[in-house]
Amino acid sequence: METLNFLMQGFGVAMTPTNLIVALIGTLIGTVVGLLPGLGPINGIALLIPVAFALGLPPETSLILLAAVYLGCEYGGRISSILLNIPGEAATMMTCLDGYPLARQGMAGVALSLSAWSSFIGAFIATCGMVLFSPLLAKWAIAFGPAEYFALMALAILSLSGMAAEKPVKTLVAALFGLAIASVGIDANSGVYRFTFDNVHLADGIDFVILVLGLFSVSELLLLLEQTHHGQVAVKATGRMLFNVREARSVFMVNMRSSVSGFIIGVLPGAGATLASALAYTTEKRLAGADGKFGKGDLRGLAAPETAIGAAVCGNMIPMLTLGIPGSGTTAVMIGALTLYNITPGPLLFQNEPNLVWGLIASLFIANVMLLILNVPMVKMFTKILDVPNWSLAPAIAIITGIGVYAVHATTFDLVLMVCVGIFGYIMRKLDFPLSPLLLGFILGELMETSLRRALSISNGDVGILWQSGISQVIWIVCILMVALPFYRAWRKRRAPKPATV
Amino acid sequence: MIFQRAFMAVWLVAGLVMLFIARDYQAPFSYEPVGPRAYPMLMFGLMSLGLAYLIIRPTPIGDGEDQKPLDASSLRKVVACCVILLGYALTFQPLGFPLSAFLTATLCGLLYGGRLMPCALVSLLLSISLYVLFDRVMEVPLPLGVLEFLEG
Repeated sequence: METLNFLMQGFGVAMTPTNLIVALIGTLIGTVVGLLPGLGPINGIALLIPVAFALGLPPETSLILLAAVYLGCEYGGRISSILLNIPGEAATMMTCLDGYPLARQGMAGVALSLSAWSSFIGAFIATCGMVLFSPLLAKWAIAFGPAEYFALMALAILSLSGMAAEKPVKTLVAALFGLAIASVGIDANSGVYRFTFDNVHLADGIDFVILVLGLFSVSELLLLLEQTHHGQVAVKATGRMLFNVREARSVFMVNMRSSVSGFIIGVLPGAGATLASALAYTTEKRLAGADGKFGKGDLRGLAAPETAIGAAVCGNMIPMLTLGIPGSGTTAVMIGALTLYNITPGPLLFQNEPNLVWGLIASLFIANVMLLILNVPMVKMFTKILDVPNWSLAPAIAIITGIGVYAVHATTFDLVLMVCVGIFGYIMRKLDFPLSPLLLGFILGELMETSLRRALSISNGDVGILWQSGISQVIWIVCILMVALPFYRAWRKRRAPKPATV
Repeated sequence: MIFQRAFMAVWLVAGLVMLFIARDYQAPFSYEPVGPRAYPMLMFGLMSLGLAYLIIRPTPIGDGEDQKPLDASSLRKVVACCVILLGYALTFQPLGFPLSAFLTATLCGLLYGGRLMPCALVSLLLSISLYVLFDRVMEVPLPLGVLEFLEG
């Protein structure tokens, strides 16, 4: 009952005219950013943070803006997947598999509206899950001490690399690098300058906006240079634009199953929408068995990943709000945005900033409805954006990125640093190092160091405190499982071919 | 594979240098058992270990969209783009945003295969409209640089 009151309060915050307009603008920007291949939610959000801050938006309003952009990106990514067979966003890769064949069969309109509907159901169910579970988790998490936090962050990092199927070590190295460079700047506890090389601009550490924009926008610009799919023509969305009741009913169970699995994966640290959509797709494919035409335009193959993405995006925000620990690159950027406002996300957020938390949750409901309404009639307009040629898109990205970085400290140093970070990020991407673990590590680094030091101060230097409590023991056991996961996978892979050949 | 090893080797050396530098970080006064050097040393140390492992046993590079091998002409374009972006970074303040952005956008557009006149036109519109949007409407101050006389 108490939760319901809070939710009503949240709707009160989200329904103010400013916040409604902000949510609408956010969903529009998000859809466009998601639509453009290469630009994802991380870029979109990172570019908007300095703007939101400069505009003097209150924290809840800018968080609503960022969340609407995040949600909108996933809606937009789907459009280019279905019409162009190019995922507009990493998570919507699975949507191509059945969405594009459907579009080729003249069902583009149906595919677009049905996938929007699926996304909506997924996000709606996940937001309900958020309302139910996050206050409980927050209440429980208040008991966490620094030792538990340290273990939890270790878990976030380790599960990130445990889940990365092919390249656990590369993922771990990237995350550790992020954790390490978070220590650049003045050490808050002792006042020692670390890795500043007597440079004034580094005394405050590397600003995360610079890191994000360099890593993601600049490296993306460089990758765009070699893109070859210029001439690809989008399939025209003609004929029936709306799905009918029979089609909606045929995928209803798929929607339900994928929502639940997407939500759970979204809550887990390190996984996120990309894994959720892949898992939902393969599960449905297996369940359908022989009577499915997966890969050739099955509505279930379209609905499953889209539902899971919608659910995972909302599930992702639970650890961010309740524990202050991001589970994905995008939520890491959102945490960075909150720290600009001197708000430390964590269990106390639910007590101290109910307007912020519940306003955000309520606005997720609203943004979702907006996206569903916007997406059906406005699809034709959005597809026009896909016609913008690279030679006018790339310069615009470059210039806006520069503005975003300049808005932080107004120094040339930051701009040069951003370009250097971008070149480094580009090489990393070329060599198959994932970038979001680096970002996640960078955001977690400071918190991880303070909790480690605080824990050891409590125990007067005894390392044993890190695994004394029951909670932290459980977390460490899960950590060990995560470390073992890649080894288990490798072992099973080596064993698997043998029975097949017999 | 050679390039991958070389890149990781440079990265490893940088990590070890950082590790070495971090050894000297000591607080003049300390009330806590863990000083400022433990955490960076731990992280850079673990990272170096991971890199060393990768140098000995590199993972094959996946065949994703991002990991396509570069040919000579793409490489030239990438280098050119880096130079343009660095130029943008360095001229942002001295030349001022509108001029610097106009030059960068035009050159950048040419690099992405646009023709001169359309690129210049788009860049002109972009730089002016973004300046007005950010500096005037959204109050993100941007430098005018050499164009400052226009303001008076």
